[in-house]
Amino acid sequence: MRILIVEDDREAAEAMERGLAEAGNACTRAADGEEGLAAAREGEFDVMIVDRMMPKMNGVQLIETLRREGDQTPVLFLSALGEVGDRVAGLQAGGDDYLVKPYAFAELIARVEALARRRETGSVQTLLRVGELEMDLIGRTVHRQGKEIDLQPREFQLLEFMMRHAGQSVTRTMLLEKVWEYHFDPQTNVIDVHISRLRSKIDKGFDRPMLQTVRGAGYRLDA
Amino acid sequence: MRLPRIFRTTPFRLTLLFLALYASAALTLFVYIYAATAGEATRRTDMEITREMHSLVAAYDRAGIDALNQSLIERAASERPFLYLLMDKDHRPISGSIQESPVEKFTGPPTWTSFSVTDQDAQGHTMKHPARGLQRRLSGGQIIFVGADIGADEAYVNKIVHALQGAGALVVLLGLAGGVLVSRNVTRSMVGLTAVVDAVRNGDLGARAQVRGARDEFDELAAGVNEMLDRLERSMAGHRHAGDAIAHDLRSPLTRLRARLEAAYLDVEAGRGDPTQALAQALEDTDGVLKTFGAVLSIARLQAAGAAPDPVLFDPAELAADISELYEPLSEDKGIDFAAEFSKDLQVRGNREFLAQALANILDNAVKYTPAGGAIMLRVRRRSSGEIEFSVTDTGPGVPDSDRDRVVERFVRLENSRNQPGAGLGLSLVAAVAEAHGGRLELAEGPGKVGEMGPGLRVALVLPRA
Repeated sequence: MRILIVEDDREAAEAMERGLAEAGNACTRAADGEEGLAAAREGEFDVMIVDRMMPKMNGVQLIETLRREGDQTPVLFLSALGEVGDRVAGLQAGGDDYLVKPYAFAELIARVEALARRRETGSVQTLLRVGELEMDLIGRTVHRQGKEIDLQPREFQLLEFMMRHAGQSVTRTMLLEKVWEYHFDPQTNVIDVHISRLRSKIDKGFDRPMLQTVRGAGYRLDA
Repeated sequence: MRLPRIFRTTPFRLTLLFLALYASAALTLFVYIYAATAGEATRRTDMEITREMHSLVAAYDRAGIDALNQSLIERAASERPFLYLLMDKDHRPISGSIQESPVEKFTGPPTWTSFSVTDQDAQGHTMKHPARGLQRRLSGGQIIFVGADIGADEAYVNKIVHALQGAGALVVLLGLAGGVLVSRNVTRSMVGLTAVVDAVRNGDLGARAQVRGARDEFDELAAGVNEMLDRLERSMAGHRHAGDAIAHDLRSPLTRLRARLEAAYLDVEAGRGDPTQALAQALEDTDGVLKTFGAVLSIARLQAAGAAPDPVLFDPAELAADISELYEPLSEDKGIDFAAEFSKDLQVRGNREFLAQALANILDNAVKYTPAGGAIMLRVRRRSSGEIEFSVTDTGPGVPDSDRDRVVERFVRLENSRNQPGAGLGLSLVAAVAEAHGGRLELAEGPGKVGEMGPGLRVALVLPRA
């Protein structure tokens, strides 16, 4: 993937670049909003990582400008501001996701991958398929190896999200945000229990587990 | 030059302004009084002189100059209050009660003249009296002058003018005195407040203004200032306490973290062992520190804002159902029976996200402290007061009555919960959320002791009616 990093903290930007490059991505760095705007206009990127607060032109202004110009590249906002209002403002400006600093690197990678992936699957799907697993979004049914799996509504949503991001790591925070739509960190890992229930339904009785735990990151659904 | 303080006060300046207004009003009144009294006296004298003149001219026209002369002599001898003078056309006196013409040269139509007459009083002193007269030329060319001693009028007018001057001076004097009095009074009321402000500026947050019990606006202001300072002091104390608590709660994990990193570093340097385990542990420690930090920040922001941001109207049962759906599996995995009971058609106004987090924190605690085989009950209902109550009752060990206030405070964790994970901020955040919504957090005993279980804890988040 080609990723544009617009971040005025050089050390943070370098660490980000190193990590993303190790994961096989090509990164371009810009040290402030104006530089970021020029880079975004010039190059083609799959995802932009934009710090909210920067000198010259802040992240929100940058994205508003790009969106006005018709640039639809997915944007992940990074911010030290974690309040509900800040997040809403960032998303309204045209951001696609919002990550509060400091973040775990696994979280950043998972979100960047999720954003890039979302772009690929632009068309409306009614059927999701990951390996042996089949999900009918209209009939609200799930089959594995042709055998129907009975899911609770929330388990269905959870599996849908995992299937849409198959092969990628998704973090607990992402699940809580995208499936439950809560933006706080629970003290206990409530998500783990939900995942283990889902796992017992889709993996139990089959020869190969599909729902993997990724150490230090979260979960991944493999085909 | 700097004026004395009292002359620089706002009340004094206001008094001056009002004084100027009153003085102009008084001046207008004085002019009117003057015109109606002194002016009136002059006009009356003039009228009488004119009338006398008419009767004299009429006598002349009827009977000629000799008859007029005769009449003048008679009139002068009588007690009439007029002064007469008849002159020939060259201003030579013919007859009259005054010797010299008060008019040097007479040419035109009837003319008024002010002059003075000398008189001798009973003691033989010569006195000058102001006088006023009218002269006109008769058809025969002679000049007749009729005047009157207006000394009495003048005295009357002077009296009035003096009275008015006195009254004016009194207005100004009383006004100034009143101004000084009012400003001294106000200043005295303000001095207390100013002293408090000075004290607070110098760092003494304990200073309070005196409420004198007059129930006036100064008392109101003093009470307001005191209340503001109370809040400020509480908040400052809270911050200080939070500062201490943060230092306390962050220092130990940070110390651990540092030690771990140092050990790992030394190991790598000496070329022995694999630092992966130590680094993983260090990351976990860091996450713990960040979680604590995030909770502290949330509480601080809520308390600083004083109100929940972006409040919306929503069904509390829906929120509770959502959160219980999140926590039920966790509870059941631990072998705790989870039940929920929600009243229908309720409404609350608030920040859904914060209330969700508050509820999650309460359930977190309940699941954490209730042993397997216990039960948790989440309930949403309307109290008879109209308030909306979210309550979570568990059958865990509960919190002793004496500790219930304390556990809500920031960072307080009871001794027997030290081995449980968590920063001890859960209930503090719930309390902050409740307060930001104008509600409160209530802790009470649970269902009581049953065998090994109990007595349990009942945590209620009470919100005002929407």
